[in-house]
Amino acid sequence: MHDVGYVAAGYAVTMAMLAAYRWHLAVRTRRARRYVSTVSGQARTERR
Amino acid sequence: MRYVYRALTLIGGHRAQRVMGVATLAGLTATVVIGLLVVPPDAAQGDVQRLMYVHVPAAWVAFMSFGVVFIASAAYLKTGRVQWDRVAAASAEIGVLFCALTIVLGSLWGRPVWGTWWTWDPRLTTTAVLLLIYVGYLSLRKVADSPTRRARWSAVLGVIGFVDVPIVHMSVVWWRSLHQEATVLRPGAPTIAGSMLATLLLAFVAFSLAYGYLMAVRMRVGRLEDRSALPVSSLSTPRARRPQPAETPATVASAGNA
Repeated sequence: MHDVGYVAAGYAVTMAMLAAYRWHLAVRTRRARRYVSTVSGQARTERR
Repeated sequence: MRYVYRALTLIGGHRAQRVMGVATLAGLTATVVIGLLVVPPDAAQGDVQRLMYVHVPAAWVAFMSFGVVFIASAAYLKTGRVQWDRVAAASAEIGVLFCALTIVLGSLWGRPVWGTWWTWDPRLTTTAVLLLIYVGYLSLRKVADSPTRRARWSAVLGVIGFVDVPIVHMSVVWWRSLHQEATVLRPGAPTIAGSMLATLLLAFVAFSLAYGYLMAVRMRVGRLEDRSALPVSSLSTPRARRPQPAETPATVASAGNA
């Protein structure tokens, strides 16, 4: 029963790290897109 | 090389990316459900062996990522095309994520089985060195002052750093190690039960899809960040004025004459 805690922690860490990295990429995409559209004064040319 | 890059660009398309995201989510869900609930526990280690279905694929993806860094770095050094540098940077970042995950999962597995979170075993030590090499690679990309120099330096490190990957793989053969030897990628038949092997292969596919999906998203981020690093003057160049829908060719012509 004690081992199940390690297994649950392992699976939770895996999913959390993947989700956190995907979220981090979404934040970077938004920031870069906002910068480019502000500086160039163009409408967003790339879709989300 | 040109065709490889074109294939990567196709994978980066919006529709392909969305399909890959859904497939990744489905694959990871199936891995979690089957790995935790369906496949039987190991006879010797019990339930804790279920960590294999995330630990081993994470290591596989880390190796694959660093392999892509190696290929893209060599391609950059040969061709000088910035796209290859972008591929290498994206893959290194994802490789570091999966390499760190491999170490964390190995630590969680080692505590109940070996009785310790960490030991200076050859496999663990060479994996930690591998992580440090690619953390160094990402740090190097931050300190270089010009994009060309950054690309060249990191390409050299991307080629040299890959040397550690076969060392990590062979460490359990070359040196005495607590870590078990390879059970799937070994000469002869895999020494693992059929249902466990099938679940492990499913996890390999799911993690590889996750790599492909993250790579596609990261490549898009790389393109945008490269654009935002350009001088402001090159971004704000006005486009040629297009005729508005209300304007007929005649009105445009008369406006031009005036």
